[in-house]
Amino acid sequence: MTFENGREVLIRVRGLAKSFGGYQIWDGLNLDVYRGEILAIVGGSGQGKSVLLRVITGLVKPDMGEVELFGHNAKTLTAKDRVDIESRWGILFQDGALFSSLTVLQNIQVPMREHLELPQAMMDDLAFLKLAMVGLPPEAAHKYPSELSGGMRKRAGLARALALDPEIVFLDEPTAGLDPIGASDFDHLIHKLQQTLGLTVYMVTHDLDTIFTVCERVAVLADKRIVRTGSPIELQRHPNHPWIEEYFCGERARAAQSGEQPRRLVV
Amino acid sequence: MLKRDHTLSLSTQARAPGFRVELRGTTFRLIASGAWTVTEATKLDAALKRLRVPIPPTPEFTGEMDIAAIAEIDTAGAWLLQRTAAAWEGGGLRTRYAGVTESFRILIEEVERRGSAERPKLAQTGSVQQLVEDVTKALTGVWSDAIQLTSFLGEVTAGIGRMVVQPWRFRPKSFVHHLDHAGLRAVPIIALICFLIGAVVMQQGVVQLKPFGAEPFAVNMVAILALREVGILLTAIMVAGRSGSAFTAEIGSMKMREEIDAMRTLGIDPMDTLVLPRVLALIVALPLLTFLGDITGLIGGGVMAMAVLGLDVSTYIDKLHEAVDMQHFMAGMIKAPFAALIIGLVGCLEGLKVEGSAESLGTHVTSAVVKAIFLVIILDAVFAMFLSGIGV
Repeated sequence: MTFENGREVLIRVRGLAKSFGGYQIWDGLNLDVYRGEILAIVGGSGQGKSVLLRVITGLVKPDMGEVELFGHNAKTLTAKDRVDIESRWGILFQDGALFSSLTVLQNIQVPMREHLELPQAMMDDLAFLKLAMVGLPPEAAHKYPSELSGGMRKRAGLARALALDPEIVFLDEPTAGLDPIGASDFDHLIHKLQQTLGLTVYMVTHDLDTIFTVCERVAVLADKRIVRTGSPIELQRHPNHPWIEEYFCGERARAAQSGEQPRRLVV
Repeated sequence: MLKRDHTLSLSTQARAPGFRVELRGTTFRLIASGAWTVTEATKLDAALKRLRVPIPPTPEFTGEMDIAAIAEIDTAGAWLLQRTAAAWEGGGLRTRYAGVTESFRILIEEVERRGSAERPKLAQTGSVQQLVEDVTKALTGVWSDAIQLTSFLGEVTAGIGRMVVQPWRFRPKSFVHHLDHAGLRAVPIIALICFLIGAVVMQQGVVQLKPFGAEPFAVNMVAILALREVGILLTAIMVAGRSGSAFTAEIGSMKMREEIDAMRTLGIDPMDTLVLPRVLALIVALPLLTFLGDITGLIGGGVMAMAVLGLDVSTYIDKLHEAVDMQHFMAGMIKAPFAALIIGLVGCLEGLKVEGSAESLGTHVTSAVVKAIFLVIILDAVFAMFLSGIGV
């Protein structure tokens, strides 16, 4: 376990560099993800927010730099350690990325089947439990992904990400494409689950409402690295960077923040 | 996973999950310890199932889930505890938790609330009933396919009629594009396949006829076969696989992305812009490709005949003249435009039937190819009967 400022660091990224087709997207990117926090990664388009998620989860190889997962260096992991680590995180892709040939219930059971040997009755019980926890009705269990709405697919994807009770979940634009009510419900859900399961949440987002209602810490990707981290309020009060100023002090940010007081979640 | 103390790294021994049950005073206590997590759930589940539900001798007996020694818990562990507690409650034992931290309490309460939801019963159908249902569905499917295809034929015919009356509806650019894709670009593959099949049939014919001393007649066989059946059938099947599927994929992906709806709202008729150019291009291209298939089939047979029968070019051509005449050639060619119509209609119709998802696109592309090939072979059989009936 790695500690920094008295908090346990689950994921540590140091000196990351990556270029695509001659264009360098990061140069010396550093980031820490602490246990139990809800961290939002923001940044303009083309800054490589989603690519960073893919690098951390091992889907894309960086050109340079180190990624440390739960205290293990990602480069030197053995295949077995890698599988262990994969069962300790859950990933929600943008449109859920549910397997289209399986029902929602079977989708949720895929990680259980792959990593553990649980009796079928127990997998059913746990899958129904996860389904209820992400706020889906039990009738959704036997439906196929194509029969669900976008918001329901995201919830089902989240239930699959939570199947093994991971320590950290990665969310890629969790509220994109949802209507404001659906998006706000999803924010509440993430906050609730974080409280209930003691999750660490890493999310890539554009949604200022999400940032102001649920995120404790925001990391800003700009100028090929993480330029600042801090609470949303802190970044808004002292932007110290033109992009952050535009993002957190623009009209939309003011609108999102003006509703902040009454909507601040209390648990 | 929730830990009682985050700064603590548990030794393997302390992680080992377990429980014991004891009676203290009037309280049945389940004392749980270790890591109650999903990785340990199978063992715990089996052990808990073996545990008998205590029967309270008098109503003042109560139950207690003492989890003070649990170091880690997740939803699976909480669910196992909750299931046991519920069973005890069901047995008439009022059960409460002891040794619960704040974060454990939130999780256990959430699991209790969420786990009790009613579950939908999966509709169970008997295998015989399922079989009958499937057969009915398949048969009505064939019937509705036939109706759809017939009405689509009607629409296309009406579309062609409109085009004759209002020639500006014709889209020459699109027509030429499809003529290129479905026709010209299919030339190498069709030439190669027909050449090879012509050669193989000739070689096999010679081998089989040799014992009867009739091997020169292999030329007659290959010539008649190539012109009447092989040329058109192989070409049509190749075109169905190449272009029929492409039509479905192109139109289907446009349907998927709502492009066809957009066209309609802009006052563009998809029949004029998408269907007719494709169908007409195929009706022109397929006879040309069939002619190519016929000729390359004959050339393939000829090359093989020179190799195994020792014929020279002029003898082979003379033998061809003896074996076949214009009638045989026409008997094959007449089928080409009809096969083209079928492939075009099926390809476009299946494309228009695609719904919102990528799976739907895949299903319809497959079914377009299967249906087109099936119908082409039916067409061939019908023509064979008809032509022999009129003595051609």
